[in-house]
Amino acid sequence: MFMSLAKERTLNNNSFMSYFKRNYDMYFLLIPGLIYAIVFKILPLAGIYIGFVDYNMFAGNSPLDAIFASEFVGFENFARVFKKVAFTRALTNTFIISFMKIVCVFPLPIIFALIIHSVHNRYFKKTVQTIIYLPHFFSWVVVAGIFNQILASNGIVNTALVNLGILNEPIIFLSHQGLFRWVLVFTDAWKEVGWGTIVYLAALSGVDQEMYEAAVIDGAKKFQQLIYITLPSITSTIVLMLVMRVGSIMDAGFGQILVMYNPTVYKVADIIQTYVYRIGLGQMDFSLGTAVGLFNSIVAMTLTLGTNYVSKKINGRSVW
Amino acid sequence: MVERKTTATYVCGVLKYLVLICFALMTLLPFINLVAKSFSDDAPVIAGRVGFIPIDPTLATYSYVLKGNTFFNAFKVSVFITLFGSLCSIIITSMQAYPLSRTHFRGRKPILYMWVFLMLFSGGMVPNYMLYRILGMMDTIPVLIFPHLLSVYNMFLIKNYFESLPDSLEEAARIDGATNMTVLFKIILPVSLPMLATITLFYAVSYWNDYFTARMYISSVNKRPLQLYLYDLINNAMQLQNQGDQGNTGSINEDEIANLTAETVRSAAIVLSTVPILVVYPFLQKYFVTGMVVGSVKG
Repeated sequence: MFMSLAKERTLNNNSFMSYFKRNYDMYFLLIPGLIYAIVFKILPLAGIYIGFVDYNMFAGNSPLDAIFASEFVGFENFARVFKKVAFTRALTNTFIISFMKIVCVFPLPIIFALIIHSVHNRYFKKTVQTIIYLPHFFSWVVVAGIFNQILASNGIVNTALVNLGILNEPIIFLSHQGLFRWVLVFTDAWKEVGWGTIVYLAALSGVDQEMYEAAVIDGAKKFQQLIYITLPSITSTIVLMLVMRVGSIMDAGFGQILVMYNPTVYKVADIIQTYVYRIGLGQMDFSLGTAVGLFNSIVAMTLTLGTNYVSKKINGRSVW
Repeated sequence: MVERKTTATYVCGVLKYLVLICFALMTLLPFINLVAKSFSDDAPVIAGRVGFIPIDPTLATYSYVLKGNTFFNAFKVSVFITLFGSLCSIIITSMQAYPLSRTHFRGRKPILYMWVFLMLFSGGMVPNYMLYRILGMMDTIPVLIFPHLLSVYNMFLIKNYFESLPDSLEEAARIDGATNMTVLFKIILPVSLPMLATITLFYAVSYWNDYFTARMYISSVNKRPLQLYLYDLINNAMQLQNQGDQGNTGSINEDEIANLTAETVRSAAIVLSTVPILVVYPFLQKYFVTGMVVGSVKG
């Protein structure tokens, strides 16, 4: 019989080999995942080297040969791309769109969770929740397809606005430089706000009911209960979610923007990842694409680590 | 607790319901509009007259989409990668999670740090693309599964769940002489079934909804999953409207060209692609919600 893992605590002097012999089955379980990690996650890290060469796809017989046959240029690709207007524009757009989404979309699930939580009719509550969680399960292609049609010149939004006399002629929202970012913000909210309430509803249901009873005895009104009991009880959840959101600021919605944007709105909607996609894979400038991708990964990781550090300081809990 | 009902609290009460009804309507109406268009005749749709009720109702669009090979083919690809992919994913993910959830497992720390690092940092789009090219996996069905095979986030959810199970469960079995595998199959897995179901669903949704992987790696029309089929349909429609009916359109095949401009066809295809989700969602909602709650509290 194998020695139990629980007993390991008491035995300090057994070697790793004898431990391995007794628990080899546990290591076998890890093998598929570790092979996956090495081949599909770690090997691509070596591919970062492409960002430091001037990749020439005709240099070798295979794509792999070509990498090593290409000329090593150091940081030249980075220097080249940082000077490009399109890159600076993509970087600015990433921050602007993320910022707009944080300011406009982040507070909504909190507000709706508070409202849902305060409703007593169970059937009403269930129905509303079932409906508002649904769009989360639609892909961005489906959401883009829906809104492409609604916002088209013959779509219901334009028809309604024209009929009501608010607009003289239809606006093509998806090609409108001034409005396109708002379309992104709105569709993001449409898809994710309902689903976002779950976390806050869970936090709200954890609030001790006795606190409310005590407050009512002390004569606290509904509004005072909200300010002095409900909000403080979910503050830590709000802070944690905000910190995580800020940590992922570099992801301004790649899946969303890639299906929704078009050349007329590149100026306001091209973000770092769509830029990498177009330049790296569309125009086949692999070296430049890799360089920008690496820049993006480093900034994203730094932001996540930084915000996680902040979260630990404030909440005493790490995101992972 | 007795509360005085003032006009203000009464108005507040009604307002709450109104706000939520508006929210639910805002969520539903775009979708209802889409469904209405898919059941309507072409002419009123083009004229922009269809709101939330079909005008000149017809099933012709649906029978057209379902008769065409392209939709059905894409649907089959999506069903296959979703079922087979989720199955492989949940197996490989729980296999990885179990040893890492045992606190005294030797080598646990370095492996965990490796996964956290891999979650935070990736090579980026181009090196991944090069990898699949070098491996000769371009334009194959497996390339739709491999990029999502193991999600580190999901692995951590399962690991944390295994860790949260009471030690007493395992210790009792150990006293009876249970081996590592007996503990896993007879104790840990049976009590974790709801959690594993939740994670399988998360995987299934991500396989079903992913269009980007296919967009990057798939070029043959008959290997397109449903989402890429829709993506092409939506994108090409815009371009073709300007070009008119010209023959040379690359990867799009003939039976699509004839109908790309038809908004009704696009609507029907989108509605059909959401049917599997609409069918299973109401029954599985509670699993999704549990997963989300566990993820936010412990993730």
